[in-house]
Amino acid sequence: MSSIKNIAVSLSGSAVSMCTAKYAIYLARQLNAKLYAIYVVDERSLHELLKTRIFVEIEAVEYERDLKDHGLNLLERVRKIAEIKKVECEGLLLKGVIHEEVVNAARELPADLLVIGELKEVVSRREIFYDEGERIFRESPCPVVVVKNPEEVERLYRELEQ
Amino acid sequence: MKISDYLKKEFCLMDLKAVNKEQAIREVANCLTVNGKIKDKEKFINDILERESLGSTGIGHKVAIPHSRTDVVDGFAIGFGRSKEGIDFKALDGDKVNLIFLMGANPSELNLYLRLLAELSRLLMENSFRRELLSANTGEEVVDIIRKYEASGIVR
Repeated sequence: MSSIKNIAVSLSGSAVSMCTAKYAIYLARQLNAKLYAIYVVDERSLHELLKTRIFVEIEAVEYERDLKDHGLNLLERVRKIAEIKKVECEGLLLKGVIHEEVVNAARELPADLLVIGELKEVVSRREIFYDEGERIFRESPCPVVVVKNPEEVERLYRELEQ
Repeated sequence: MKISDYLKKEFCLMDLKAVNKEQAIREVANCLTVNGKIKDKEKFINDILERESLGSTGIGHKVAIPHSRTDVVDGFAIGFGRSKEGIDFKALDGDKVNLIFLMGANPSELNLYLRLLAELSRLLMENSFRRELLSANTGEEVVDIIRKYEASGIVR
């Protein structure tokens, strides 16, 4: 039996989210682990845009609602494709500062492994502090898997028996 | 995911001819349309003006960020316009606006759009950043200034 019982996957809502989710499903199935899919509504950006008055109140409320809906849809899609591959998956919709919420969730579950999407190239010291993926990677309480090579992920995912 | 990944020198107008808010938005929108970033200019302008009707995006310090989610943009589009005389945007501080960042994003790019807007707002909080944009001579210089500040060590 594997000592990895809980796998968490952080989904950014970007185009690569489903690829990240598929690799997490692949790992969960191989390791017979439970999967926790995490999506965080980016409240910090919303607050900043309100504070700097780029957003008006009604606009921020609308964005928060849409981000929440987007997250719920994404988590449900992941739950469904995990189910098809016989992986138990629970979605966690959180809100706040993205890296803080993901790291806290990984700690509290507790996750034995955290899966994240590919990190962008860091070209400045500033990005190390600003990029949410980078900060999750650095601050995670458990080992982190960074998903790469979407074609290979798709192949592995398809090969999983249903 | 940085502003400089999307703002190209061709999308920068260093001397806007516009004398009012709508003209300024039209001028920058036209530049983005000519460069293939907007599929339907009039729809884009309407979407931007509709957002403006909720409240001015003139955020003070001579800056305006008219923006909207709009289905006539694939992904994300940003253009820059500078007015030497300044334009009345009904800004919060009452000052005329010299620096205009016009932004539009497809509704499917919710997270990207939010983060780029937040990133731009952080950069624009810097006095020196705004000063350098005001004295830039070319679109290339504008993009270089943005790159420089994106790469600087400002930390929240």
